Amino acid sequence: MPETPVPTAEGTSARAATSGAGIRLENLTKHYPGSPAPAVDDVTMEINAGELVVLVGPSGCGKSTTLKMINRLIEPTSGRIRIGDRDVTGMDPVKLRRTVGYAIQSSGLFPHMTVAQNIALVPRMVGWSTSKIKNRVEEMLDLVGLDPGEFHGRYPRQLSGGQQQRVGVARALAADPPVLLMDEPFGAVDPITRDHLQDELIRLQHELHKTIVFVTHDFDEAIKLGDRIAVLRERSHIAQFDTPEAILTNPTDDFVSGFVGAGAALKRLNLTRVRDVGVVDFATAGVDDPLQSIFDLLRDGDTNEVLLLDRHRRPYKWLRRGDLMRAKGTLARAGTLVHDTVTRDATLRDALEAVLTDNAGRVAVTGRRGEYIGVVDMETLMNNVHELLEADRLEAVEHRHQLEEQRARRTRMAQEGLGGQGGAGAPA
Amino acid sequence: MSPREERRAPRDERPPGEHEVHGLAFRDEVHEREHGSTAAPVPAAPPQGLRRITWQRALAMPLFLAAALLATWLWFRGARLDSIAHQAVDHGKVGLAVRQHLQLTAVSTFFVLIIAIPLGIALTRATLRRATPFAVAVANLGQAVPALGLLVLLVIWLGIGTKAAVIGMVVYAVLPVLANTIAGLHAIDPTLTEAARGIGMSPAGVLARVELPLAVPLILAGVRTALVLNVGTATLATFGGGGGLGDLISAGIITQRMPVLILGSVLTVALALLVDWLASLAEVLLRPHGLEVSR
Amino acid sequence: MSFWEYVGSRHAQLLTDAAQHASAVFQCMVAATVLGVALGVATYRTEWAGNLATTATSTILTIPSLALIGLLIPIVGLGVAPTVIALTLYGLLPVVRNAIVGLRGVDATLVDAARGIGMSRAAQLLRVELPLAWPPILTGIRVATQMLMGIAAIAAFASGPGLGNEIFRGIASLGSANALNQVLSGTLGIVVLALLFDAAYVLIGRLTIPRGIRA
Repeated sequence: MPETPVPTAEGTSARAATSGAGIRLENLTKHYPGSPAPAVDDVTMEINAGELVVLVGPSGCGKSTTLKMINRLIEPTSGRIRIGDRDVTGMDPVKLRRTVGYAIQSSGLFPHMTVAQNIALVPRMVGWSTSKIKNRVEEMLDLVGLDPGEFHGRYPRQLSGGQQQRVGVARALAADPPVLLMDEPFGAVDPITRDHLQDELIRLQHELHKTIVFVTHDFDEAIKLGDRIAVLRERSHIAQFDTPEAILTNPTDDFVSGFVGAGAALKRLNLTRVRDVGVVDFATAGVDDPLQSIFDLLRDGDTNEVLLLDRHRRPYKWLRRGDLMRAKGTLARAGTLVHDTVTRDATLRDALEAVLTDNAGRVAVTGRRGEYIGVVDMETLMNNVHELLEADRLEAVEHRHQLEEQRARRTRMAQEGLGGQGGAGAPA
Repeated sequence: MSPREERRAPRDERPPGEHEVHGLAFRDEVHEREHGSTAAPVPAAPPQGLRRITWQRALAMPLFLAAALLATWLWFRGARLDSIAHQAVDHGKVGLAVRQHLQLTAVSTFFVLIIAIPLGIALTRATLRRATPFAVAVANLGQAVPALGLLVLLVIWLGIGTKAAVIGMVVYAVLPVLANTIAGLHAIDPTLTEAARGIGMSPAGVLARVELPLAVPLILAGVRTALVLNVGTATLATFGGGGGLGDLISAGIITQRMPVLILGSVLTVALALLVDWLASLAEVLLRPHGLEVSR
Repeated sequence: MSFWEYVGSRHAQLLTDAAQHASAVFQCMVAATVLGVALGVATYRTEWAGNLATTATSTILTIPSLALIGLLIPIVGLGVAPTVIALTLYGLLPVVRNAIVGLRGVDATLVDAARGIGMSRAAQLLRVELPLAWPPILTGIRVATQMLMGIAAIAAFASGPGLGNEIFRGIASLGSANALNQVLSGTLGIVVLALLFDAAYVLIGRLTIPRGIRA
């Protein structure tokens, strides 16, 4: 494996993280003995380093089989697999799997080991030193947003479904593999938790730049997570392999558009994140601040509202000037509790939802541990949505143009007897 | 679903620990078959039962036993017996031992069933339900008493003879059958009994038309357990003058006459396997339709 | 002579018998556990092999112990040998069966996860499958031990060691004043041993079953 420590784009992390390695599947086929048709038929796919590719398709289409052939949990009948610049088709599968992270549905945590033991498994197998493993476990727990002190010694069954899944991801990433395979990892958790976990994964990927192959049957999840999406039909045939935007605005055929489903415009909101739109600053105060300073802030500032933060700088209450008048020396009963926040990785759809349900039309944006970052309001959102839709319309026009050109070219080629098979996918 | 997955399915329902310990401890003692035995007897039983009914398998056991008995008989006829050995087997003593053994088994099994099954039903009714854990604890403790000691104590108390042997066998086999019955009735999906009550069945109707039919497989397994246990315990009746095939075995050991010992042992083994085989056939044939493929 | 006077006067003999009884059962149980788990591990992955192992061991268990001992005497003679063989054979079934059920019951996704993170076959077995199957195996050992306690008593008839000798001394002197004391001391001794072993297993369970999967 090429284990080059890569300078991360945002300089976010002091962790010596291995960034992704490209994956190449060449004519991968799996034929189970005794079944007439292959389960996976001649899949060729190039996944770039640091990319999050989602394999999506109806159940039984072979997407999971394809994924499991990458770490050779299922041995391909024919074809080759390359990770980085190495052909792994012939290498010892056990060694291979230690260099490929693997996270599965319902976490797959071993119930008889503590969270720390679970995470330490792979580093121990590849022979890290005890102290290095110990640090790594803390680091990984921290990375997936669990307090190491609190969760270290717990057993899986003492965790909620979402926490288990986080630990599952931490275990998969513990030995710092360049490639992470995820097989419907969020399939077994409730929708709200799933949403959070998806946001977490996006944040993680921003920090780590692993190459992630993610299998799901949920197209919305695919849109939310994927840098590129491979829509698979039966026997893992690739119907379309492109960016979410392209698939939404320009599905290649009826199968793909059927899979995309209705409401493509709304789904489009899933493709833009809060971090991409302007987060505005808001007047804030801490709960421990002297009452007088909050008074001053409200009286002298140009705002008539402040956001009160708790001791961990998490949004706590919205305080209006009127609330303070009635506060009578204590903040205990003043103001409205913050009931909803979004992270910077939340989609515009989530943000819109939160803003729409908030009676003042704004929502606080928080960081990884729930600490305050800024506020998004209705106005910012509306502006962005309009821009977005406008841009899409322009793109669609352009695309139609391109398609027409392409079709014309193909007709021409067909007429010349060359056949235009290869150009089926939309050119980027 | 592959068979392997089928077997996996019931696993979630098996709480590891006490419940399972009780379940096993009851049913296990000396004689225990693969059937209806593990911690999750209800779910595990049907698929195995279905497979077992294939004709080759059903016929294999009696054919094997017939061959083994024939071989033993031929060998025994050829063996040189001295007067001591003759004394042990002549004058129809072998036939008598077999008859006694069957009688002991049949009588004790009969009593076991008429005691254990009604008691099991009573202990799962709402009024007596609170006594169930107590009964389970007593039964568990009872398992720790060795059959031999129990039998001999009864002989000392009641005197030598068949009566003490039968009572000992009944006491000993009641516990596992009772446990099986209770487990069978407890294992019934509460939504089913609720549904039965919901459509207006009387408590007696619920018991007779829903609970008992559903518990039949486990009760049958209990009957089989009782039979096999009793065939085994009946060999110990000889130590209390109760007769049976144990007479031949103990005579063979005490007098050091190997032909007698082997004849007695082979007959006992054959009888035990035959009874178990018959019970397994009964289990498959008497199981209510629709329960075979419930999983 | 009252029972307690009898126990007082014969305590040396009784303790020796009890120690021999316990040690015979313990040693045979260790052998049965090792063999049983090995059989379970060797057969649980194959449908027919697992069923064959269960059927074979359960057939042995159907055979009355006195008859099995009777069949062993012509081959290995009287004394310790038939006792040890019979006890080990009878101890096998619960262990084999529970090992197979336990190993087959390990959640397939966990095995998949173990493979997926790069555990070798041996590591999967030793670090994931066997630890998870351990509670049912331990239950099997408990059940088997209790059973062996009673069978060991019967084995004394073939000159085997243990408290069964006390019971058979009582049978030999049926009608005499001491018969009841002898049988009672042998029987109660076995009950006490069985309960002590059971308590030991509860303790072993506490110590060896990881907290994460304890009921």
